Amino acid sequence: MRRYIIKRLLISIGTIFVVILLLFILLQLMPGSPFNDEKLNVDQRAALYEKYGLDQPLIIQFFKYVGNMLRGDFGVSYTISKNTPITQLLQTRLPISLSIGGEAVLLGAVIGLILGIVAAIWHGTVWDTIATIVSVIGVSVPSYVFALALAYVFGYQLNWFPLLYDMKIPLQSSVLPSIALCMFTIASIARFTRSEMLEVLGSDYILLAESKGVYGPKLIVRHVLRNALIPIVTVLAPLIVGLMTGSLVVEKIFSIPGIGSLLVTAIQSNDYNVVIVLSFIYSAMYIGIMLVVDILYGVIDPRIRLSKEGPHD
Amino acid sequence: MRNMANKLVALVLCLTLVLTVGSFATAESSGKVLKVQIETEVQSLDPQVATDGTSFEVIADFTDGLYQIDASGAAVPALAADTQVSEDGLTYTFKIRDDAYWSNGDPVTADDFVYGWQRACDPAFASEYAYMLTDIGLVKNSVAVNKGEMPVDQLGVKAIDDKTLEVQLESPVSFFASLMYFPTFYPVNRAFCEKCGDKFGTSPDTVLSNGAFILTSYEPAATSFTLEKNPKYFDAARVQLDGLNYQVIKDSQTALLSYQNGDLDVVTLSGDQVDLVQDDPEFTTMNAGYLWYITVNQADYPELANVNFRKALAAAYDRDAICASIIKDGSVPATFAVPEQLATGPDGKDFRETAPTYEGFDKDSAAKFYAAACEELGKKEFSITLLVEDDQIAQNIAAFIQQEWQNTLPGVTVELKVETKKQRIQDIQNGDYDACLTRWGPDYADPMTYLGMWITGNSNNYGLWSNTDYDTIIKRCVSGDLAMDPAGRWDALHQAEKIIMDNMVILPVYQKCNAMMVKSTVKNLECHSIALNRVYKDTTIE
Repeated sequence: MRRYIIKRLLISIGTIFVVILLLFILLQLMPGSPFNDEKLNVDQRAALYEKYGLDQPLIIQFFKYVGNMLRGDFGVSYTISKNTPITQLLQTRLPISLSIGGEAVLLGAVIGLILGIVAAIWHGTVWDTIATIVSVIGVSVPSYVFALALAYVFGYQLNWFPLLYDMKIPLQSSVLPSIALCMFTIASIARFTRSEMLEVLGSDYILLAESKGVYGPKLIVRHVLRNALIPIVTVLAPLIVGLMTGSLVVEKIFSIPGIGSLLVTAIQSNDYNVVIVLSFIYSAMYIGIMLVVDILYGVIDPRIRLSKEGPHD
Repeated sequence: MRNMANKLVALVLCLTLVLTVGSFATAESSGKVLKVQIETEVQSLDPQVATDGTSFEVIADFTDGLYQIDASGAAVPALAADTQVSEDGLTYTFKIRDDAYWSNGDPVTADDFVYGWQRACDPAFASEYAYMLTDIGLVKNSVAVNKGEMPVDQLGVKAIDDKTLEVQLESPVSFFASLMYFPTFYPVNRAFCEKCGDKFGTSPDTVLSNGAFILTSYEPAATSFTLEKNPKYFDAARVQLDGLNYQVIKDSQTALLSYQNGDLDVVTLSGDQVDLVQDDPEFTTMNAGYLWYITVNQADYPELANVNFRKALAAAYDRDAICASIIKDGSVPATFAVPEQLATGPDGKDFRETAPTYEGFDKDSAAKFYAAACEELGKKEFSITLLVEDDQIAQNIAAFIQQEWQNTLPGVTVELKVETKKQRIQDIQNGDYDACLTRWGPDYADPMTYLGMWITGNSNNYGLWSNTDYDTIIKRCVSGDLAMDPAGRWDALHQAEKIIMDNMVILPVYQKCNAMMVKSTVKNLECHSIALNRVYKDTTIE
């Protein structure tokens, strides 16, 4: 198992390296510059490029940047917050996105699982129909609409939660955004859980367990869920990354200082360093979570663990 | 099963209770604090680094320059207690107020201005606004200093003594005083800035205030920050507010909800919302200064180089309809090259007031010009690609103009090309387009900020138009005999605009205005279309 993890880690580092190189090339191809193209003439832009080292060949820029990254220097922002070190920009924003994303994942996974389990167990009844309707709505309605609806009803009309993200009351401010974000997750997890559980519920070993006298929560948790979880975990992994990295739309509506809107603004204004750092964070998180998921497979399903370890002497 | 479900429901209810109890919106306003919305984060609090309106507005809240902008948009002295201009208009001597202090107790000195202006020009600092000194302010040696050909201390700005600043120009600049309210020309306390190093302008501890307010909470790219009244401001008696709360809200619907909630006093709306609030007494529009127009590539296309053809195009679309039905935020139809409320002449009147009214939407005229053009060009079929950026409103306008052109001018086919803004700008700068819907924002309060664009070879002359008479007039105004003759210069600028409109060098569409909601308790909120979007020095809350 350990060799497997080390091998995966090395591949991951290589992948991130390639991702950053691709980004450098793509950013170079983007039109315009981080600076005010309309008002600056060619000489003035050239002077700015020189100041930030943007006039050097791509390869040199790339290696310089990676070298700096390894020393913890991620460069400065060119447009969003001029000359500010990106580590400083991320200091407040990253934890906020992560915490709201984390809440959304928790909410989404838990409620989704419960809905799916309910739908599967009482499959064919009104509970199943309700769960399905909720799933369809959650998947079809864009998070923008949810966010606005929540903001209007609970933020504005009822005044239960703040309309805008307030750093002084982070917990309350994160409720509405988390709910808006988790709807899609709830819907996806619920549907997956339902179909996986139905499949498992109809299998022989469950019949055996039931005939042995195992029933109720014990049956569900110890026997059914563990078998249904593999595909659910597979689906959950990319969803987690998507949520943690912040949703532009939800951040825009609640005015959350998060990294989702930071990335989009950076792309639109050619703020190269911010784009690279955030994309690096996304890739690292995605790769990291996939690695964790792979290890989890081994934990959840002993068959996978044994096959990974290979034949022992 | 039932048990588990019950436990879960109980848990959820408890959680909801805990979360809601502590969250009833609290408006912590001790005194008169104005709550203002801005649409993007502040890019920089360093006056020589900032380039955008939001940053300028906030910097000006806590910093004064030699001059400030008054309610009517004119430049009035701020830190300059006295201004002397030499006969030839090349030397300005400013005396700085004795009662001007930085928030750390240091007096504001002439050296603070020297330091600030040097930073703006220093090629090592690479300020994006160096052109305010090199191209517009025409400060002596600024071009050479900015290119690195001369050391920074050769810049034409010197501290004669602690309170006397002497500025030398390459050529007279009639509107020089009005440049002084631009943050690029603001003073920076040398010792403090050097001590802060890279951290200058990143937090309340790394900025100094000599203006109406003091920054009390801020961090880079913050979505909300606050200022409070500066009791040591030399004009503190005039400042009625106790503080300012800025909130970044990018979504106009959330902004309006926050306004109706009472969380904000001043918000900006989008065009779609105007229908809802039009009759509300708190609804208002303010001039945002941008002129939107269509530029046509006269170098590559003979039809676009034909004056009659251009005039036909310009007369064929209904600007009133565009403003009333598509944009809807109070933006104003434009049939001119120099926007309204941009500049006041030596006669005390707005440039537009004393200018003739140029032709606008007229289908018959369009048909006539078109017929003449077809004859001159010997063609009856034309195909134009109209380039537009990916903003929804811009696309809607372009689609409307496309329809108008195709319907009014038989034989003209128009194709729309949508690009990102950066790509669009790159294309027109490279001359890689037919026609493009573009905009220009004023850099300073003088018609030259627009008219200066269309001289031969200017990098912003996207139409690649050239006219020697025009070039001559502009040259005389900038560095020739008219530079020191305000009345003559003003007339010449009117003549210049007439040449532009007679030749339809650009096809104006509209002048941008912003739709806003301002609480009826808020008085004397000053909005401007240049430099400082809003000034709060005289604002009160009743």
